[in-house]
Amino acid sequence: MQDSTSTGEQAAADAEPGWIEPHERLDRSAITLWRVNGLIESGFTFLAASAAAAVASLFADLPWYISGLPLVVALLVAVITVGVAPTVRWRRWRYEIRDTEVDLQRGAIYITRTLVPLARVQHVDTQQGPLERRFGLATVSFHTAAGAHRIPALREERSREVAARIGALAKVARDEPL
Amino acid sequence: MTVEFSRPRRLHPATMVIEALRGLRSWSGAIAFPVLASVFGDRSGSVVGLLVVMLVVIAAGAAAWGYASWRATSYDVRGGMFVFRRGIVQKSERSIPIDHIQSVDTVQGVVQRLFRVVEVRIETAGGGSSGRGRDSADAALPALSRSVATALQAELAAARPEPVEAEQAEAAGPTLIRRMGFGDVLLAGATSGQIGIALPLIYGASQYFDNLFSEERIRGLVGSVLPGTFAAVAFILGAVLLLSWLAAIIGTFWAYYGFTLYRDGENLRITRGLIERREVTIPISRIQAVRTVEGVLRQPLGLALVRMESAGYGKDAGVSMTLFPLLPRKAAAAFLEAVAPEFAAAPELRPLPPRSLRRYVFRESWPWTVLIAPAVLVPILADLQPPDWYSWAAPLGLAAAIGLSALYGWAQYRSAGWACERDCIVVRTRRLARTTLIAPRRRLQSRSVAQTPFQRRRRLATFRIEVASSGGGASASLVDMDAEEAFAAVQQLAPNPAA
Repeated sequence: MQDSTSTGEQAAADAEPGWIEPHERLDRSAITLWRVNGLIESGFTFLAASAAAAVASLFADLPWYISGLPLVVALLVAVITVGVAPTVRWRRWRYEIRDTEVDLQRGAIYITRTLVPLARVQHVDTQQGPLERRFGLATVSFHTAAGAHRIPALREERSREVAARIGALAKVARDEPL
Repeated sequence: MTVEFSRPRRLHPATMVIEALRGLRSWSGAIAFPVLASVFGDRSGSVVGLLVVMLVVIAAGAAAWGYASWRATSYDVRGGMFVFRRGIVQKSERSIPIDHIQSVDTVQGVVQRLFRVVEVRIETAGGGSSGRGRDSADAALPALSRSVATALQAELAAARPEPVEAEQAEAAGPTLIRRMGFGDVLLAGATSGQIGIALPLIYGASQYFDNLFSEERIRGLVGSVLPGTFAAVAFILGAVLLLSWLAAIIGTFWAYYGFTLYRDGENLRITRGLIERREVTIPISRIQAVRTVEGVLRQPLGLALVRMESAGYGKDAGVSMTLFPLLPRKAAAAFLEAVAPEFAAAPELRPLPPRSLRRYVFRESWPWTVLIAPAVLVPILADLQPPDWYSWAAPLGLAAAIGLSALYGWAQYRSAGWACERDCIVVRTRRLARTTLIAPRRRLQSRSVAQTPFQRRRRLATFRIEVASSGGGASASLVDMDAEEAFAAVQQLAPNPAA
């Protein structure tokens, strides 16, 4: 592993980032926000499911427990998206803005850890949808030449701090033009 | 005239009109109905009245939308940042560090000309989406007066370092690096394996032949030469394959005949093409990653194709293109040393741990099993009385499908490997063709490690890197790497601390 770069050994001594999670978390009210989002989504799922169930029971001669199957599935999906997923997601979501990189960890089941060098950041956005505004939350997204990365559901003032910090560090870290 | 940019500024009020028109355009579906109805429908009083009301409502809505957009949009230049705020419902604030800005262009559309204002587009390197024009800009200010636009351009230019375009190395002149001879092109075509691309061509040709030879004549011809259906099918299949192979060779000649790569100071120049000569120039400094692709037919011959990902901005957006169509795999490192030394890494690759072999084999073979097994077993078990041959041919087919897909999984596992050398990451994977990606550490836009619960249990992980390219980046993933090694690699590829 340390065969090529001289920084390898020193970096390994600093920390093993693979095992130390980034330490910042999202705002706790993210859970509520995601629950509300999930609720709205499951509303639509239910509409679709009831339509499917209605069609099945009216036009096809199926026993009730088969034509009702879409509703059961929709209920299951709702329980997961409203009840379970937001908490798990929040518990897993972490971020940290280091001097040279942004460290992100996300995903409820499929956990992804991403490191984005600040030198590669082109610009930073803060966004706020109507629902987020209700909760006093905002999303920071920062763009590299290969795409955008997001840190969702931060307190408004926190989101401003994060965006400003990423922006300022990106300016310093820029080592050479693309 | 001095313009103050350190406080949030609104755009020119003409923005209201422009945004209102944009709003109308995006609602045009809804507007089309009353307009069409008024043209073609019956013109009784109540209908006309209703239409008028609808149009008034729509016009008022557009006006309100324009006003609200204008109110919501502002920008300023402060602390080395260009900050752009907009959005009525979905609010957004975008900060662009000034020294990342590559271009500040002004454009004047019809509406802008009417109001004597200009649209200002701000772009960063490789940024924005892949599109052109307004959508590709990182910030587009729909209307500023000329004087303010000029002042803004000056303000942004003052804070921005001069672009260091290497003009000094012109004197040397282009040096030839490598050229495709006739034999090379023929070999490239013969081994390209692009049978899929050739199929439409053959279809077109067959339509043409249908007119020449009637079906009966062909049947008579085939029947006299080859008795029996099996032989006929085999003959036709063989003919199709041969024809598509020939078409692939012709296609390769068309695109790559005379392919020549020059190095001209800090640029690469490629000329190619049989009838239509094409020429492109790419600054070497824009190359983000190089891929060596060994096709199924080429790998046994030790041949490979070299591709590159490059990033650009503004008018010449990033591209993914052929750096050289065919060269011996062994010569690739020396070739890259001459073309772009930064990418000339040819390390011994580290294999994946033996415990991931099972996952590779399983991942490839289970979809086939699930797909084919019911088709095989149900007719036999449910006693649907399939023909006699079915009871032995179908299970044999299933076994073959499982065996082949498992073999493919094994081949993927065997090909997979990675290494960090000379400040480069090298990742090799197989998706039919064996592909080796080489990217310098300083070109990496992001590095990721992802784990499913199954991978976590076996201490495996998927390692992924991204580089800039057209269409918002290119990436390479290595599935089922040892988790600890993956995290260590991510760590090793970290950027140097800021000086």
